[in-house]
Order: sequence, then structure tokens, then C-alpha cells
Amino acid sequence: MLPKIIKKDDLRAFVEALLAENVVVAPTKKGIKYAFAEVDSFDEVALDYNITMLSPRKYFYPQNETVLKFKLGEKPSAEAVVESAPKIIFGMHPCDVAATWLLDVVFAEDPADPNYLSKRKKAVIIGMNCAKPCDEFSFCKDMKSYNATAGFDLMLTDLGDKYFVEVGTEAGEALLVAGAQASEASADDLKALQEWQNGKEKSFVNRIPYDTKFLPEILGASDDSLVWEAIARKCLSCGSCNTTCPTCYCFTVRDEVASNLVDGERKRIWDSCQLDEFAEVAGGENFRKARSARLRHRFNRKGKWLLERYGKSGCVGCGRCDRNCLVKISSVEVYTQLAGERAK
Amino acid sequence: MKPKVAFFSFTSCEGCQLMFLNLEDELLNLLGAVEIVKFREAMKEVTSDEYDVAFIEGSITTHSDIERIKSIREKTKILVAFGACATIGGINAIKNFQPLEDVRKYVYGERWDFYDTVPTMQVDQVVKVDAAIHGCPVSKKEMLEVITSLLLGKTPNIPDYPVCVECKLAENVCVFDKGMMCLGPVTRAGCGALCPSYGNKCIGCRGLITDPNTNAQKDLLEEKGLSVAEVLKEFRMFDGLSEVSK
Ligand code: SF4
Ligand code: SF4
Ligand code: SF4
Ligand code: SF4
Ligand code: SF4
Repeated sequence: MLPKIIKKDDLRAFVEALLAENVVVAPTKKGIKYAFAEVDSFDEVALDYNITMLSPRKYFYPQNETVLKFKLGEKPSAEAVVESAPKIIFGMHPCDVAATWLLDVVFAEDPADPNYLSKRKKAVIIGMNCAKPCDEFSFCKDMKSYNATAGFDLMLTDLGDKYFVEVGTEAGEALLVAGAQASEASADDLKALQEWQNGKEKSFVNRIPYDTKFLPEILGASDDSLVWEAIARKCLSCGSCNTTCPTCYCFTVRDEVASNLVDGERKRIWDSCQLDEFAEVAGGENFRKARSARLRHRFNRKGKWLLERYGKSGCVGCGRCDRNCLVKISSVEVYTQLAGERAK
Repeated sequence: MKPKVAFFSFTSCEGCQLMFLNLEDELLNLLGAVEIVKFREAMKEVTSDEYDVAFIEGSITTHSDIERIKSIREKTKILVAFGACATIGGINAIKNFQPLEDVRKYVYGERWDFYDTVPTMQVDQVVKVDAAIHGCPVSKKEMLEVITSLLLGKTPNIPDYPVCVECKLAENVCVFDKGMMCLGPVTRAGCGALCPSYGNKCIGCRGLITDPNTNAQKDLLEEKGLSVAEVLKEFRMFDGLSEVSK
């Protein structure tokens, strides 16, 4: 689909048109950080945000979701719960778009997950391109997710007095046509985009000192690395590197029964492979008891296994894991050290 | 026959019993399912001497407490430690870091030698505990989880992971990012990260998780500028009986 242009001043009108007809979630200021939240007006949108605490995965795969309602007692029964509502997600950055693209593949795999897919199908993603890295923690360039190539309905790039709009889907195009004074992008606009892109290439730096296409190989040879023990000594096993990660999809399941001892709900709640109980199975056996084994597991999932299984990287380099780690365990450093060990 | 339930209070502020009374809507349902035979805060007379479930609030802090809890254990099928004083010693354990004589003088004045005391103990240091409801005070949700689980004969779901998990799921700004300290990374979740959700630090009222990395937590607090003594003080607020406070 052909790219479009909307004037800078028309963005407000476009968002307001979206708001008039739809539920819109967008990055908003939350204290000293940012969070995606439902907005009622254009002014609530933090257009210049760097990164939100959680990615918009929470809209397709909520932190705590009822998946079954049941009744106990004389006449036991159970009914699956699949809830979804249309939504426009405005302002998603390329890394989160890439992460969503991965989750789409994961949750569509047989057996497909109706709870995720029904919400995802009703969502429209309007992305916002990044001109510079969010902070010192991003390594999206290393993970090749700093430019969105797919997975969006519309993707906006700020070219100063106008937005260059890449159109990913017909749904996106329809919204654009209905809500904005969009024009066809001209040859000059394409040239301006190219210049903008050249600037972007300069402002984003690689932080891992090798091409991450070698990550699976490096991780594959690192099972006995001393790095795992070294970082395990400082790891709090707090799970923040997972709970804030846009590509994590592990959950735990809990049944909650009301005080009448009849009505119950089954919840699925985000889990983390860094937690002690994560790999505990019936009988009390825990096959990843050691912190070092848990860390090795996480890095292998992010850098190796998901890529091998789904053909998409399990890490998009958003840096949330490193940014939220209170004891400064850094993915970039781990990947660098593992390669360094091998070079010796 | 409805299960007979009793509440006993030891050294505590009795706030956890109050939390039970605050269950309001749920309380009526539960009263239909159980018979409460002893509850000091809500009824006068004792109606039985045998219990199916005994909820124990408070720490064990006197010789007579020790005898009393042992005798309750003999009379009850299930014994539940109810609230931080009972599960981890909680605030009461602060006295263990001072000479007991000083503590008695401070609390009872001139006639201090009339009053007996022993170092504060959590209930399972004296008798077997079958289930624990954590927190200072206990949370409504977890109280219901434990009570309904006992009635249904299933194991209650008590988190054994840190408060940080619930804090991140709530998408709170981490208080460390605001220059504050927090015990969330080593403290047992289940409160829904109540304090950080209101912008405060977690002071550890639910006790430590089973396998906390307390060395890393101490290093973290020191790196943020606390002295060794100040770090200990943070832990001793609620975790006085744990190794970490020694
Ligand atoms: S990690 Fe990269 S792509 Fe993601 S928000 Fe930051 S700069 Fe943008
Ligand atoms: S965020 Fe850091 S401390 Fe917490 S589990 Fe992850 S690596 Fe360990
Ligand atoms: S592993 Fe870290 S950098 Fe990679 S996607 Fe997850 S949070 Fe982002
Ligand atoms: S505020 Fe406390 S509980 Fe929340 S993430 Fe930070 S350290 Fe963990
Ligand atoms: S956040 Fe910490 S101090 Fe506050 S209720 Fe939860 S466990 Fe207790």
C-alpha cells in the first residue's frame, strides 16, 4: 500500500477522529515514567515518550485474566471465558511492534490461544517511529528491531512539519482516510524519509560487539559458562526482567473460589522463569532450582530458542530487562562476556 | 456438622481479628459454612473446647503463652498462624534485640519483675502450624483463599515470590527510581504490592520468601547509601526472627 503524508498540525484532528469512534490507548505520563493507558483526549498522549514500563502486550494478554468460570457443589459446571473489545493502540514504538509480531506467532501456534487472538484481531496498531534510542539501555539496533518492517497497521515517522505514514493494512488505511487529511507521499517526501533514516542510523549505535545472528551459536556453547554463576550471586530472582519484557508469555494458573464455596474463576497470571517456584512440578521436584540455571534459561530463550523455534528473535532489545534490574544484570554485558569467553 | 472455628489472640494488636470482621459480605457466607465457637473481639462466651480450625493471632512472648498454645494445639485439628505476629514474629521481635530486663522495665515500670517474658517467638517455633496467613495486617483476599481452601480441602495458593512481581504487574513506578529503598525484592507477595502502589516502600510485613537472595538485597541497599546498621534496621522491623537480621 502506498505511503501517505499528514501535516503535523493535522495529527490532533486525526487522533480526535479516532477518539470519537474508538477506544484508544496511548503512551501517557505515569509519575516519572510512562505507561500505555486509555486516553480521552489528544493532550493526554505523551507523543515524545521514550519507553513505557510495560509494553502493550497487556492489552492482548492481560496480567491477570479470567479464562474460565465454574460452579462447584450439587451441579458442577464450567464455561470458558473469552473476552475481547476493539481497540486502537496509538504510538507503539518499533521494538514493541516487533515483540507483538512475535507474540502473534507464538499464540497462533497449535493449540491456538483464543483469549490472545480474539483481542489481537480487534486491535489496530498505529506505530510511532523512533528518531533516537530511548536511553542507554536500548539495544534495539543490535536486535534489528529499531525499524518496524511489519506488524503494524500504520507507522508514523515525524519529518518535522509532517508525518510520513507507512500503511501496513487496509484497516489502517481506512482509518487514515476517514480521520485525516492525508495526501500521497511525493518523491520529495520519500527523499526526506531517506534523509531522516540516515540520521537515525547514526544516532542508534550497536552495543553488542558482534552481529547477533551469532547469538544462538554463542549461547549454544555457553552452558557451562562461569557467567551464569557470577550473575546468579547478585540476582534477586525478582522476575522484573520477565514481567516487563514485551516478548514473555509464560503464565501460571490459579483457581479462586468465592466465599459461598460455589462460584469460582480460573485466572491466568503472568509468571516469570526467574522465580523459585516456576519450574517446580507435582511432588515438589524443582528442575531449575539454582538461580544460575534460571538465568541461563532466560538468556537462552531470549537469544536462541525462540528464534530457532519461531524464526523470530525472542528479544527485541527494548532494554526493559536491563533497565528494571535493580542489581544491574545486563543482557548486553552477558552477551558480550559469553562471546569473550569463547574467543579466549 | 459445620466445622468448629475458634480465634485466639496472643501478643498482637488484634488488628487481624478486626480484618476478619471486616470481611462483611463474605462473613455472612462463611458463618453459614462454619460455627464460630470462640472469638474474643466479637462474642463473650466460649461455646466449645474442641476445634476443627484454630486461628492464632499474635506472637508467643511469655511462659504462659507457651503453655496456652500447646493446649490449643492439642484441642484443634488444624492450626492456622494468622498475621505477621504469628507467622514471623513481626514487630514483636524488635524486643529480642534488647536485654529483656530493660524491655520489662520500659513496659511495666516499677513492678516489672511481676511480669514474665521470653524472647518473642513465631507460633511454629512452639507448635506445628498447618497453614499461614501472612501480613500486617492480613489481607482480605488471602484470608478468604485460606478459609475457602480449608473448607474445600485443597492447598491454599500462597505466593512464594517477591512483591516486585505484583508491583510490576500493577505497572507501578519502582520506588528505587524515586530514590527510596524497598524490601520488595525479598518479601513475599500476596498484598498486591500495596505499599508501592501508593508510592511507599515495602517494609517487609509479609516476611521473606523461602529462598531470598538477602546478600544481594543487603548489597543493593548499601549501594544506595545505607550503612550496615541501617540495612539491619530495615530488616529487623518485621524479619527480626530471620537469619537476615542477626
Ligand atoms: S528500544 Fe529502540 S525501538 Fe524501542 S522505544 Fe527504544 S529506541 Fe524505540
Ligand atoms: S531483574 Fe535482575 S535481579 Fe531481578 S530476576 Fe531479573 S536478573 Fe535477577
Ligand atoms: S529480553 Fe530484555 S531487551 Fe529483550 S525484549 Fe525482553 S525486556 Fe526487551
Ligand atoms: S517498588 Fe519495591 S516492590 Fe516495586 S519493583 Fe521496586 S523494589 Fe520491587
Ligand atoms: S508492600 Fe510490603 S509492607 Fe506493604 S503490605 Fe505488601 S508486604 Fe507489607
